[in-house]
Amino acid sequence: MRGARKLLLALSVAACVAVVVGYQSTRAAAGLSNPRVFVPKVSFYQRFSPAMRVTIGDVYWLFAVQYYGEHVDTDHRLDSLPATLDVVTSMSPRFKQAYFFGAFALLDAGRPDLGYALLERGFKANPNDWHFPFYLGFFAYTFASNKDKDRIAAQWYAKAAALPGHLPSVERLAADLYTKGNAKGKAIELWAQVYGQGDKYARDKAVAALDRLLPDDKTAREKAVARLKDLMPASRFDQFIADVFAGYL
Amino acid sequence: MSATVQDTSEKQAATTTTMLEASGLRKTVAVGFFRRKVEILKGVDLVVREGETFGLLGPNGAGKTTTLKVALGFMRPTAGTVRLGVGRQELGYLPENPYFYDYLSGAEFLALCDRLFAFDAAGRTERVTALLRDVGLERAANVHLRKYSKGMLQRIGIAQALINDPRLVLLDEPMTGLDPVGRIEVKEIIMRLRQRGKTVLFNSHILADVAELCTRIAIMKDGRVAWTGEVADALGSNGHVRDLESFFMEVVRA
Amino acid sequence: MRKVLAVAVNTFRETIRDRILGVIILFALAMIVASLWLASISLGQEGRMMKDFGLVAVSAFGLVVAVFVAASLVRKEVEKRTVFVIFSKPVSRSEFIWGKFVGFGATMLVVVGGMTLFLFAVTWAVARSPSAAILVAGLLVYVQLLVVMAVTVFFSTFSSAVLASVLGICVYVAGQLSHNVLSLTQVSHSEALKAVTRGVFYVIPNLSAVDLRASVVGEGAARWAGVAAWTAYLGAYVVIALLAASWSFGRKEF
Repeated sequence: MRGARKLLLALSVAACVAVVVGYQSTRAAAGLSNPRVFVPKVSFYQRFSPAMRVTIGDVYWLFAVQYYGEHVDTDHRLDSLPATLDVVTSMSPRFKQAYFFGAFALLDAGRPDLGYALLERGFKANPNDWHFPFYLGFFAYTFASNKDKDRIAAQWYAKAAALPGHLPSVERLAADLYTKGNAKGKAIELWAQVYGQGDKYARDKAVAALDRLLPDDKTAREKAVARLKDLMPASRFDQFIADVFAGYL
Repeated sequence: MSATVQDTSEKQAATTTTMLEASGLRKTVAVGFFRRKVEILKGVDLVVREGETFGLLGPNGAGKTTTLKVALGFMRPTAGTVRLGVGRQELGYLPENPYFYDYLSGAEFLALCDRLFAFDAAGRTERVTALLRDVGLERAANVHLRKYSKGMLQRIGIAQALINDPRLVLLDEPMTGLDPVGRIEVKEIIMRLRQRGKTVLFNSHILADVAELCTRIAIMKDGRVAWTGEVADALGSNGHVRDLESFFMEVVRA
Repeated sequence: MRKVLAVAVNTFRETIRDRILGVIILFALAMIVASLWLASISLGQEGRMMKDFGLVAVSAFGLVVAVFVAASLVRKEVEKRTVFVIFSKPVSRSEFIWGKFVGFGATMLVVVGGMTLFLFAVTWAVARSPSAAILVAGLLVYVQLLVVMAVTVFFSTFSSAVLASVLGICVYVAGQLSHNVLSLTQVSHSEALKAVTRGVFYVIPNLSAVDLRASVVGEGAARWAGVAAWTAYLGAYVVIALLAASWSFGRKEF
């Protein structure tokens, strides 16, 4: 009897396990989630405890990353991404990665304007980070439809060039765009700065660009160059004169 | 006979210190959801003198434990007064069905009690060891109290009541739950205390032990003291020799 | 003071040896390790995520331990009748309350400190982004929990352990929303409501005045003067709560 009871118990347990495993194995995985997700307004969360803001922002950051990954290559719908990024960046204004990722993710959402606005907000909150004006310049140049987008982009790159830690090429970018945007004066100044701060490569580039920008007339060229004296170290200015007037001697 | 008892008592009262005195002690508690008032003590008059081994008897619910609790300040009297003739520094108390700290060993527990009296740390280990030896728990010194048997808990309870070498020792049901060996050991402890001139007051339902150990007793009934006097008088009043149990039943049923 | 320390040492021993603390600590450590998984879905922000959610775990599990153990600190002693052993000795009710709090405070320091150190080590080893600010944040979490513990101990002196725990958690949540209460005061049109909400604002501990995680994740440098003032405020709140607990417990009968 005891043996029979044990056998019955073992069979019952095995049957239950089989039901549990069998049932679960027939379940389908979750499908694509709804691209339209309710995201409360920023003001709602701002009323929450100030001690929880960073955590709320981080929770929404994780959500934003998963949401983007789930939808960007499937249904290509990122309807709730702008609101989500708003929450992340409002809760954590110095969370720079959120602005950068968000701006480019918003490009995928077909909203470069929102990406641009996001970067502008980020620059206000992080005025010493050159990446913001750098990306803003990129956005302005690539996606703006204004007639003066080159000049706008150049202004952003010039701002980036004025901030510590920027890439050496940023000034050259700004100068090129000023040229394209018919802001000759600005372009000349920036190329002069490039000459004053750059290595040989940068100086050669600056000289080549200035040669095209500066007046051909020697007297006019001298006048224009004289104004650039304060834009570079005194020790470099002599060499600058020599390079810029090389064909005139 | 009772007049003689009173005369002797009065003579004693004149010469010895009163260790516990209750006068018209009343205690009302609120019980249940509707806070119904229940009077537990209805005017208790009690005197315990120094050097006595005093038995406080009574059926369950008579108010024995409540009287002790009010005397110790665990409860506030509703009316009347109660005072102890010693301060806490010279008092020892064993509660009914004692329960102690699960994760302390016997030695750690007694060391805690020693510290609560603000005794010097010097000699603490020796004091604790000696006390454990007195109550027969030397081998269980480092065992956690949660592993102690009922009898061992009772004995560690007595040890903590004696750690400060008190003048007044209050023991609430010290023999409850003990086997015959444990009972004999506790009786021996009480007798040693008596020989050293300590005042001991204890409750017990084991009347044979009370008759053997006590000098005076009080029998409580329905929140009052129904009878108080010498044990000898309880056993042999009116020329009849009888046991304490019969006397107790007479008083309680009166 | 010696008696407060004696009760404190005993409480520390009891709570540290209570295995439930070990389970909770393990669970908290598991949560912190789980944050590593979270970090892998955060697009290169694992350092930030681990610090943020790790500190949330330290707060949450610290809160569970603080509230549920603090609620039974005093209650357990009354229910298990160990208070009879303590208060038959020359220990006052307020010495007992302070001793229990100090002892459990030491335990919580071990618990919160252990979790914080583990978090610091994990963020250093895995995310290569150690930050001494984590240690400071852990210390501030501890101070916050001291307030919750003190308030819970106060509640436990006159209510059940479950209710005291629930109230303790409510006070923690209310403390996180303290500035909302102040906003209510400012936007309300009714003078009576303003007075009530202002009273509530002062009674509820302000646990949200400093964002512990902001400086840890780089959302701004900590303002040390503000942190010092907040810590002093919380310390004063603890003292008031414990004085209230001492008064309440002093009136208790058992």
